[in-house]
Amino acid sequence: MTTHKKLDRSGALSWVDHNRIYLIFVVALLVMTAFAPKFFNVFNLTTISKTAAMNACVAIGFTIVMICGHLDLSIGTVITLAGVVGLGLKKYVGYEISVPLALCSGALVGLVNGLLVTKVKISSFIVTLGTMTILQGLIYQITGGNSIALSTPDAFSVADFLGHRLIPLVTPRVLITLVLVLLFQFLLSSTRWGRNFYMVGGNKSTAWLGGIEADRQIVVAFVLSGLLAATGGVFFAMESSAATRNMGDNSLMYVLSATIIGGTAMSGGKGGVFRSFVAILALEIIYDGIILFGLGNEVKIFLAGFILAVVVLYEAYASYRHDRVVGQRSELLAELSAAGRGNRSTDAASSRG
Amino acid sequence: MSHVGKKFPGTIAVDDVSFEVYAGEVHALVGENGAGKSTLMKMLAGSFDDYTGRILINGKEVALHSPTVAKKYGIGMIYQELSLAKPISIAENLLVGRLPKKGPFLDRKRIDSETRSWLSRVGLDLDPNLPIEDISPHEAQLVEIAKVLANKPCILVMDEPTSALSREEVDRLFEIIGQLKNQGLAIVYISHHLPEIFAIADRITVMRDGKKVATKDKAEMTREEVVQMMVGHSEREFYHGQPRASGGERLRVEALTRKGFFHDVCFAARAGEILGICGLAGAGRTELARVLVGLDRKDSGKVFLDGREASPRNMAAALRLGIAYLSEDRKSEGLALRLSIKENVLAGLIPMHSKAGVYLPEAGSAVLESLMRELSIYPRDPSRTVGNLSGGNQQKVLLAKWMACGPKVLILDEPTRGVDIGAKMIIHAQIERLANEGHTIILISSDLPELVGLSDRVMIMRKGHFIREMAKEDCTEESVLIAANTDVARPAQEVAHG
Amino acid sequence: MADQAIAKADARSTAQGRFIHFVNVIGIYFAALLFVLLGFALQAAGVITNFASAQNFLNIVDNVAMLGIVAVGMSFVTYSGSMADMSVPTTMALSGIVAVQFLKVGFWPAIAAAFAVGLVIGLVNAVVVGRFKANPIIWTLAINYVCMGIIRVVWVNKQIYPDMIASTKDVSQAFDAIYRLEVVKGLGGNPLASLRLPLVMMVAIVIIGQIVLSRTSFGAQLKLTGSARKAAKFTGVNVELITGAAFIVAAITATLGGLTVTSLSRVGAYYNGAGYDFRAVTAIVIGGMSLSGGRGSIIGVLGGVLIIGLINNIMTLIGIPTLSQDMIRGAIFITVVGINAKSLRSLGRDDA
Repeated sequence: MTTHKKLDRSGALSWVDHNRIYLIFVVALLVMTAFAPKFFNVFNLTTISKTAAMNACVAIGFTIVMICGHLDLSIGTVITLAGVVGLGLKKYVGYEISVPLALCSGALVGLVNGLLVTKVKISSFIVTLGTMTILQGLIYQITGGNSIALSTPDAFSVADFLGHRLIPLVTPRVLITLVLVLLFQFLLSSTRWGRNFYMVGGNKSTAWLGGIEADRQIVVAFVLSGLLAATGGVFFAMESSAATRNMGDNSLMYVLSATIIGGTAMSGGKGGVFRSFVAILALEIIYDGIILFGLGNEVKIFLAGFILAVVVLYEAYASYRHDRVVGQRSELLAELSAAGRGNRSTDAASSRG
Repeated sequence: MSHVGKKFPGTIAVDDVSFEVYAGEVHALVGENGAGKSTLMKMLAGSFDDYTGRILINGKEVALHSPTVAKKYGIGMIYQELSLAKPISIAENLLVGRLPKKGPFLDRKRIDSETRSWLSRVGLDLDPNLPIEDISPHEAQLVEIAKVLANKPCILVMDEPTSALSREEVDRLFEIIGQLKNQGLAIVYISHHLPEIFAIADRITVMRDGKKVATKDKAEMTREEVVQMMVGHSEREFYHGQPRASGGERLRVEALTRKGFFHDVCFAARAGEILGICGLAGAGRTELARVLVGLDRKDSGKVFLDGREASPRNMAAALRLGIAYLSEDRKSEGLALRLSIKENVLAGLIPMHSKAGVYLPEAGSAVLESLMRELSIYPRDPSRTVGNLSGGNQQKVLLAKWMACGPKVLILDEPTRGVDIGAKMIIHAQIERLANEGHTIILISSDLPELVGLSDRVMIMRKGHFIREMAKEDCTEESVLIAANTDVARPAQEVAHG
Repeated sequence: MADQAIAKADARSTAQGRFIHFVNVIGIYFAALLFVLLGFALQAAGVITNFASAQNFLNIVDNVAMLGIVAVGMSFVTYSGSMADMSVPTTMALSGIVAVQFLKVGFWPAIAAAFAVGLVIGLVNAVVVGRFKANPIIWTLAINYVCMGIIRVVWVNKQIYPDMIASTKDVSQAFDAIYRLEVVKGLGGNPLASLRLPLVMMVAIVIIGQIVLSRTSFGAQLKLTGSARKAAKFTGVNVELITGAAFIVAAITATLGGLTVTSLSRVGAYYNGAGYDFRAVTAIVIGGMSLSGGRGSIIGVLGGVLIIGLINNIMTLIGIPTLSQDMIRGAIFITVVGINAKSLRSLGRDDA
């Protein structure tokens, strides 16, 4: 029987690494509660949960795409598009039609993205960069540069419903998001269909040989991303009762950061929706705390980028270290340590390969 | 498989071979590199849709044109390159595409128990949730085997399964093979390692140059006979075999060690000498070459070039010192396939002279011309893309590249792998010419006739140690192969005297 | 005899190879010509006016001068196989705003400070992508956000104006001149038609870039790295260094572009440089450079830049609002890459 330990498998360190996002979340929560003025009250926490909900919804889809090994840069513009469509068409056809239309538009964008990536075989970076730009132009064309605002909030409009708190802290929007997060997390971890995303991202040809329809999974992932981004966009629009031309622009940065920090790797095959959700929460807590400390919006923006950079650097460095030792033969290492036991202790005790 | 054949551009990889395996037997397929064993089995795996001849399973003819079809017919292939997805867990890799479910949801308990049971069959006791990237390569190899077994094949093909395994692991594998035999599987076992073959096989088929030489029961053969069939006879005697007058010592290596790859290697090579290095896969030959040429860092030991200590920090430095390395895999490590012949041949000069900064592309033309002429590189047009050339011509381009750098020591790693006879002869002639002109050539090769025919001396490496050195008179293909296969109780500690 | 045959073949084929390359590049300019003709046609049809005038053509070239500068630098990154440098927009903005800030001290200190900033960013990119092999897109995106954050933190939401901050009037005029300096005045007797500094800079950079890429050892190593990274490593090329150096080049041209854009807009702000990442990548792709590296030329990139300029111009003349033009630009971008990908695959290679 052979059992081997990899260097990093040694208990504590790898557990921390694996669950880092939960730790970050807890630490952030504790720190902010302890030190930030006016943090732990209903109003503030509600604000946090509302903002987080909107981004978290988007992050679900983005995470699924990244698990497949691809990148969706168009989510920011899809958010804006959905907001514009949802709100803008309301006066003509009412929410019952405009919201589903907004969602469909998001799904449509996702479909286009997915097909271009799988059928025309262009890299997802390029495709989504292109669709993002196209949508930017489209949005401008539709809105003519103006924001769309609800002139008078209707009495029984859906917006109100979504804003109406059923339970303190939890608006229907947040509830919907939570449900979606849990739903997708469950699907991704406990159904064959969900696990297929991971396999496609892990090694596309292994997936093929195993009988998984890799291309179809990828297209579905992009459609989901578009759909969920659109949902987030509708939430955004309802929240502020307005749809501005660039309301989705910051989302890409937040969602990208959160997804990577949460443990989903750009290379695919790893990560999870719930983790991204927790990451968004944690980041939102940090950002909120920053504002409460009086540091201003700018620090928030800087921090968002900085945290992402740190995480990317960390991952790159980790794989750099890993690559240096791969391939060693355990017997030789064992020999060496046996011979060298007299001289000095080597770390050849970590037998590999 | 009846009278099957497979052509690749430039070579006939498998030439009218007929081959059968029975249920419950272990049938070993042996032959040197390029003999056609892997290609034969790839046909079985459904990798080609254009083979000639017929394949019958249980008496019925089948058309194995794709891997999925092959799998359906119960053919399981275990390769050296793993087909596992790194970030994904063992369990999901093992059961890919058919994760057991309870209704629409995954049945975690069954996944776990099934995975564990398959793993224990190959002797592993790992947590099924570990991702492949967290287990060691040989554990991964065993997982790969478990994965193939889990598909319940009736024919199992194993291609060099033991090259990365330790002794206990090999024993365990043989136990498993024994069990599978008893269960009625037909097993084809491809390997170079004669001791293993003789330990495990019931029948042995020897292939050479794409043809089947013989199929016999193990009991009827001796190791020497097998070796003789593998290496064949006098077609190979176009080597001159003249002793060469060599010059003074040029390269000396003392106690060179790279932890985990090779230990305490000592040897010396003279100017104008061809030093062959023989060893089976995993012996550490390529790793040794990489350290000599600066691609990898050594951990201890010294290298002397022309009397002075040489520790190139990187390959460019090594080139400037005069050490060059022709790598094993010309397609991914040697040539820039998308670029032209000219760019490839002159590529080595760039890092050599990079300190100068500016370099005019025209300057290389004269050298290019003469090299192309000497090596008879075809097509004659230097602006042709290298990726479109035949294997032999590609290899010539690669050789030309290093010749253009005019190195004092040229290390060649499998210089004629996948190369047709004509190109092979030209390359060999060139190697000899280089030696005669005073260059030092270190020849790493699994092609025994080549190794024995060209080398002045042969160094045997096994599992990271330098075992012994054989002078030209003692070297025949058989003796060298046997030496490479022989485990010594303790690695040789003596320093080789040049 | 055989020698002569080879020598002749060599000469012929080098010529042939050059010819094919020539045709490829010409193809881009041919496409540019088509667009010019399109403009003429549209003008003839009355759809647009004022296209076929020297003034207009000068405008076009002027407008894309900055894009050209930045695109040439970024194409080094693309050529070496790192796809794209997404930190360019904020590098431009940051170096621009730093320059304006330092105008308080003087003109040349401001320029120096700007380049210092650019070099730091380039170095950081170089180390992280070159040595630690982070994903270039994600990393440069992250840096983009970080720089944006830096600008927002240090200058909050203020915009600083060169004329107000500069120590003396001369200094602020000098800064103004970065964009407006007329190197050659009065072309063809038209007092309004003059070649300004950005255009001259672009031409210079294109020439330098072309020479470096095609004639120097550095360029050859870039090509090897971009076209076959592993083989390059096994040939002795210091792949990490080369990859990193490309990022430094991109950062330097981004700084130059940033100074020019800031000079044009006469204000130091975080939005100077917005959109340049996409436009540069589009120009590079249209210009025939492959996103996986190792193929293309600077002259081609120039052609791509010109085509973008023409398209922008025609669209503007037709009356499509600038920001709506993004729709068409995005569509063209995807189309061009798609065509590239398909045609290369039919030749049996995998790309983009």
